Amino acid sequence: MLPNQPPRWADRLLDWFCAPHLLEEVQGDLYERFLRNERLFGLPIARRQYAWEVITFLRPFALKRQPGEQSTTYTLSPAMIRNYLTVAWRNLLRNKTFAAINITGLAVGLATCLMIMLYVMHELSYDRYHAKADRMYRMTIIGQVEGKALNIAYCSVPAGPTLANDYPGVEAVTRVDNRQGTFIVTRGTESFKEEHVAHADSNFFDTFSIPLLKGRAGDVLTQPNTVVLNESTARKYFGNEDPVGQTVTLGTLGLYRVTGVFKDIPSNTHFHYNIIGSLRSLKLRDTWLSSGIMTYIVLRPNFAISQLEARIPEMVRKHISSEMKQLLGVSLSDFQQKGNSFRFGFQPITDIHLHSHLEEEAEPNGDLKYVYIFSVIAVFILLLACINFMNLSTAGSAKRAREVGVRKVLGSHQGQLIGQFLSESMLVTFMALVIALGLVFMALPVFNQLAGTDFTFSALLSGRMIPAILLSSLLIGLLAGSYPAFFLSSFKPVSVLKGRFQTGARSGWLRHSLVTVQFMVSIGMIIGTLIVYRQLHFIQHKKVGFDKEQVLMVHDTYTLGDKTGAFKSELRRLAQVVDVTSGGYMPAGPSNHSVDGIRLEDGNPQATLYREKSFYIDDRYIHTLGIALAQGRNFLPAHPADQSAVLLNEAAVKRFGFKQPVGQQIWAVGDGSPNSQRRYTVVGVLKDFHFESMHEAIAPLIMFYGEDNYQMAIRIRTDKLPELLKTLETIWKAQTNNPFAYSFLNERFNAMYQSEERVGKLFGIFAGLTIFVACLGLFGLAAFTAQRRTKEIGVRKVLGASVASVVVLLSRDFLKPVLIALVIATPVAWYGMHQWLQDFAYRINVEWWVFALAGALAIAIALLTVSFQSIKAALVNPVKSLKTE
Amino acid sequence: MKRSYLGEFEELVLLTVATLGQGAYGVAIADELDQQAGRPVSISAVHAALHRLEEKGMLTSHMGDATAERGGRRKRLFSVTALGSRTLHDIRDMRNRLWDAIAPNTLPAIG
Repeated sequence: MLPNQPPRWADRLLDWFCAPHLLEEVQGDLYERFLRNERLFGLPIARRQYAWEVITFLRPFALKRQPGEQSTTYTLSPAMIRNYLTVAWRNLLRNKTFAAINITGLAVGLATCLMIMLYVMHELSYDRYHAKADRMYRMTIIGQVEGKALNIAYCSVPAGPTLANDYPGVEAVTRVDNRQGTFIVTRGTESFKEEHVAHADSNFFDTFSIPLLKGRAGDVLTQPNTVVLNESTARKYFGNEDPVGQTVTLGTLGLYRVTGVFKDIPSNTHFHYNIIGSLRSLKLRDTWLSSGIMTYIVLRPNFAISQLEARIPEMVRKHISSEMKQLLGVSLSDFQQKGNSFRFGFQPITDIHLHSHLEEEAEPNGDLKYVYIFSVIAVFILLLACINFMNLSTAGSAKRAREVGVRKVLGSHQGQLIGQFLSESMLVTFMALVIALGLVFMALPVFNQLAGTDFTFSALLSGRMIPAILLSSLLIGLLAGSYPAFFLSSFKPVSVLKGRFQTGARSGWLRHSLVTVQFMVSIGMIIGTLIVYRQLHFIQHKKVGFDKEQVLMVHDTYTLGDKTGAFKSELRRLAQVVDVTSGGYMPAGPSNHSVDGIRLEDGNPQATLYREKSFYIDDRYIHTLGIALAQGRNFLPAHPADQSAVLLNEAAVKRFGFKQPVGQQIWAVGDGSPNSQRRYTVVGVLKDFHFESMHEAIAPLIMFYGEDNYQMAIRIRTDKLPELLKTLETIWKAQTNNPFAYSFLNERFNAMYQSEERVGKLFGIFAGLTIFVACLGLFGLAAFTAQRRTKEIGVRKVLGASVASVVVLLSRDFLKPVLIALVIATPVAWYGMHQWLQDFAYRINVEWWVFALAGALAIAIALLTVSFQSIKAALVNPVKSLKTE
Repeated sequence: MKRSYLGEFEELVLLTVATLGQGAYGVAIADELDQQAGRPVSISAVHAALHRLEEKGMLTSHMGDATAERGGRRKRLFSVTALGSRTLHDIRDMRNRLWDAIAPNTLPAIG
């Protein structure tokens, strides 16, 4: 080699960019000039000059390749791609087991991903379909009263119209009253119980993009006592008749004329009303502090919500001050000085489903947390499937090494080999995609049932979904295929063809760490599932403070009106009925409770105002439900003075700070006027019972004595439930034409945890799938190892090794990654589940044995998977394995 | 007459190829231009011009023999084609006609 050379990098650069047919002369000329320059100016200048001149050759003429002269088949020409696919296909056929493992794993991963994608897209699409969704907000109440946060989904009745009149940025206001959502709806002689009834302003159908099938958007809800039905309800009541112009009776509100039919509200809406009456049918309380109605506003285009928010304090001052004085006896500034606050907030309508958890929501909303959790699970399962592909490809590299060597000798570039391996992974991915779509198609009904959704397969094949799915499959193929492609294509042909190639030794540690990742995810999922199930079991079996077995609830007993007494005494006559009670609230169900302002001193406006839950019960309540009395006595019907007696729960005693609760007096504030204030005497204290779900700590509770027929509970004692139910229905039907609806307290109680139960089930399924995919990979790896060590096993057996020792030898390798995974997964899973449990006021402790059990399970599953292959290998007759060459 | 347009630099390169006869290749042309026109030219510029002239059909080329001084690489040797020669002549004729058309003593004297 000559000592004085031009810079190597410049030479390489030229090599790379210059068209091959020009390269020789260009290099020659530059080199000649370089030699002259070196002679004249010395080496450094010559080198610099050379580099500069190379760079000046970056011109179109030097870059342009000559067509046809030297035909090189570049990596992505159609002919090459066809060839890649042929070779890939043949390779798949040659290794049917591994191809099956790869495709199954990826198909399961993709199918899970697709289903979770459906769920996530649905959750994210809530209320986005409204034409004005980007400018729609819900107006809410945000405040603080005596240390208690006030976050309510509705706002004052006059607030909406005031906003529309006084503030130019507001285009429209629509109010929806859904506070009395359940009605007995009657047409002629038929009546049904309807649970999704609302009353709305006449511009409801202009604001929300819910199409009307009959009637015009602006007209349908303008008159009092007019109603629109959704399609299914209209069919239920009117069959194929035209409902418009006909009438239905809405509970006690009287006759309504049907003016239109709207399309069923899409599932991705934060409310699902079936029947919407005109708001003018209702008498609304026109007060700011003691009324509530869902209020939606539409802003004018390009008007920022912050401009409106800035005006809210002024609005509160203007309208609320005088009412506050009346209701609470304090001025607004005093009220605020005591650390209280009251204002209106605005939520973008598209945020309601996932971000809003206020009191009095139209429906239970979704939770962003679960969107995240399930997305992460989807990514994990897919990742696991990709890892399988990588591991199996690199483990099988010994077989492919010779092929790579020969291809390289025959002139393949590394780029071409990469293309070949990538097309193999693409082929596998797309085959998996086809199978995954089939799997989704089959599993969707089951998934819908479990997740409580109604997704259709066609949602996957609509609009932007197809390109999205294809593109992500392409990415997955690249991800899964890139490492094997680079790994396999980098083999040195000389060593490979000489046979000096070490079988996959180089990538062994990587394979093991990838297996570790797989088992980390699997163990994490197992731990999660165990803890979710334990918590579910805990809340379903925790002592709730009342006896929830053998209690039958009869719904809508308020429809009995003055026949309640007769109904009850009929029931008491039955031998199977132990006791009957009615009350404003029964555990785990809809309630007629209210929140009352309570003071502990007579009429003193400076005294602390408590805001506590309360409802009316009769004297049989605590006996029927089996609630224990801690102190004092129950209400006595013989005591006329008990009309002004109350029972408290222990939490309320604590809140009020009573040392001797029985005999203490409290004052209910009423609506604020002096004559609505009433004095009550505490006669007894009930042991705390879970009247709400375990998410909430038991709240202070005040029970007044009085008839509230909202619901009825019957304690029964019978083995022949169907007969009893029939008898009850006959008695009911003798009193009223309304439908007889009932439920069992224990079932209702369990229904409260439906969403947790769903999460538990889904978690379990996903954990199962994760482990399945991970085990597929492990199974494949074990098969490879056994194959590779066939001869070794033969020799060992000939020398006297037992089958058991060979199995141990082959399985030992796979235990290490699982153990490492356990160590890493434990703290991560502990942290995650600890966060999840924070949602419950009553929760289990995360115990160590959960982790031990998860680890043991994982190890057992891994061993089972591996031992199948190791035992198979160990049992082979050594004569056979040693004969193979 | 169809006129072939040549840029000023292309014309110089074409003329230089004619001047150098058998030995016309990249570096030689660049050196000659450097000497005759007194301006330094980069080899890439010369190559680009040669390439264009060949595309226009005014030059033809063949690979010469390998020489040691270029690291064993061959030279591409250029020669002027009939079209090239015709174009050069046309340009020269046109210039001559223009020179002839200048009335005596119209140009300011130099020197």
